Amino acid sequence: MVGTALRSPATTLAIVLATLITMPLADSLYRVPIQVSDSLEPIVIAAKYDSAQQLLHDSVTFSPTTFRPLRYLQARALLAVTRATGLTYHAVFRGLHVVLLVMLVALFMAAVRVRDWPDLVAFTVAFPVLLGIHTFLSMLLEAFPVNHFAQVGVCAMGVLVLAQHQPRWFVPVVACVLLALSLSVIESGAMVWVTVICCAAAGLRGINRTTVVATTIVFAGYLLLRHVLGISSPGIGGHGSGFGDRFYSPEELAQRFGAHPLGFMIYNVTGGLASLLFAEPRQGVYSLLTAWRRGEIHPVVLINVISSSANTALLIWYAAARLPRSRSAWSGADRTFVAACAAFIVNAAFNAVYIKDEIMSPAGLFYAIATFVAVRAVIDSLPRETLAAASFATCFLVVLGSFWTFRAVGVHYQLRYQAFTTRNDWVEVLRPDKHDEWPQNAEEFTLTQRIRAEAIGRRTTSPSFMPRWTDRYWVE
Amino acid sequence: MWIVAGPCLVLALLSAWWTAGRLAGNGLWPPDNVTLSEAAATRNNAEAVRLIESGANPDQPSSVRDGLLASGYAVTIKPVEAAVGAQRADSLRTLLANGAAVDLEELRVLRCLEQTRHDSGVRELLGVEATSDIDCSGVRSPLERAR
Repeated sequence: MVGTALRSPATTLAIVLATLITMPLADSLYRVPIQVSDSLEPIVIAAKYDSAQQLLHDSVTFSPTTFRPLRYLQARALLAVTRATGLTYHAVFRGLHVVLLVMLVALFMAAVRVRDWPDLVAFTVAFPVLLGIHTFLSMLLEAFPVNHFAQVGVCAMGVLVLAQHQPRWFVPVVACVLLALSLSVIESGAMVWVTVICCAAAGLRGINRTTVVATTIVFAGYLLLRHVLGISSPGIGGHGSGFGDRFYSPEELAQRFGAHPLGFMIYNVTGGLASLLFAEPRQGVYSLLTAWRRGEIHPVVLINVISSSANTALLIWYAAARLPRSRSAWSGADRTFVAACAAFIVNAAFNAVYIKDEIMSPAGLFYAIATFVAVRAVIDSLPRETLAAASFATCFLVVLGSFWTFRAVGVHYQLRYQAFTTRNDWVEVLRPDKHDEWPQNAEEFTLTQRIRAEAIGRRTTSPSFMPRWTDRYWVE
Repeated sequence: MWIVAGPCLVLALLSAWWTAGRLAGNGLWPPDNVTLSEAAATRNNAEAVRLIESGANPDQPSSVRDGLLASGYAVTIKPVEAAVGAQRADSLRTLLANGAAVDLEELRVLRCLEQTRHDSGVRELLGVEATSDIDCSGVRSPLERAR
């Protein structure tokens, strides 16, 4: 089957396009140094333990609200790779981020399966959606020090790809492994289970009853384990989040909504979904509201809102045109569309306590897949339409593709910006005028010093030397 | 139908160009070569530290290109002056933490420069009270165009 697919010139060209576009993106991602916040501490902790078993045992109790044992074990494994290979810490840790990016792109291509020329044209619209949507950038920017949200994205997409094919004996096993892996790095790993359920509900043939039952048992076991270990879920006030036109600190949120959180939780869930579908709000804050009050709106907000809203309108058109038929009449593309939409809708519920773009990052991947299906349907319909309707549809897709391509280019700019600020963060580590704050432990000091030297030693682009207009068009 | 693919094809061509440029040592938005004063003026604190750790003298005046501190001309000034001129308290602190020396005469120059480019963080670092008057008569701004 793969051989057949590879013989198609459309498939080959899609791979070439994806490769060409991903290469500089991988370079931009690789330029971001290892982060100080969220990354240095787990690396140091992982290095100080004598054994992985002891680290695994203790890491369970590191936080009262999170259960992420693989976070530290992965860092420890990467440290071992660094030692074994003689590579720099940057090469190993950031290299893994690049590998995850490549895996996401490869899985996206496997999910959309470009086979003919109309597929290829649909791909050229959907691929920039994948890269340009704000949740994808947020996912790329994460590091704990391994990018857990990207790992969840890879696992969830992996499940979708498995679901699109014939059921095989190993699918339940692979799905359970992917779920267990995701859940052990971050709570959003539950999206893998959600994906299994959504694929089964949509009738994708690769997910059978055994897979549903097996993954549900794993997920129930995970919840039980959290309960036994006394790990609770974070409540209102655990993180800052937006409401209306401003961002609130954790303390402010607890004070304002702590006693009656239901309304705020509904706001968050609907806001999370709206953020994906219409690019507003961001982190719970409606920039349009702020812009309306100030009488000034940044082009980036308009570009994002227009492109996302137009894209969402396309998905609604597809759903209205194709899904009212009986479920048994749905095509494979219909089922993929339904599974993807169901997954990104359920993903919004993960924002109940606070909104973060990263939380919606799996949803962003599914949104791009649903876009491919819808654009493909528009292209299929063109020969049957009147000249005026076909012209309108073509213009719509060209404008849509242009907006999303522009947003995708902006990812480079924002990664440059992130590289600059992250590198600057290292200036505050091991400051010469604050010797008393330096680590006392020799191993910790040496490790910190080396990672700092690598970060400072890698030159980054200063935003001051990038085009002035870019901020208004790419940074919210 | 093919016109729909246009934007993505343009992105692919640009990406190929950027990759080729990168392999040639340039590419999309490569890091700039900056002087220590330019690094201080653009809040490029990590680059400032890298330059100092590579042997650059934090007290040595260096050029700052047109548009970063002064409009229409380049200036040659000390890194600490560039930080104050750009209202970058964090850059000033980084320079001071990494060996930049400020004697009494230089301190007066910096305080007078801050009077024209107000920044509360810089003022605090320079030990200036918000209400204090500083006699800046006879002090030439390092940002003035060289005659």
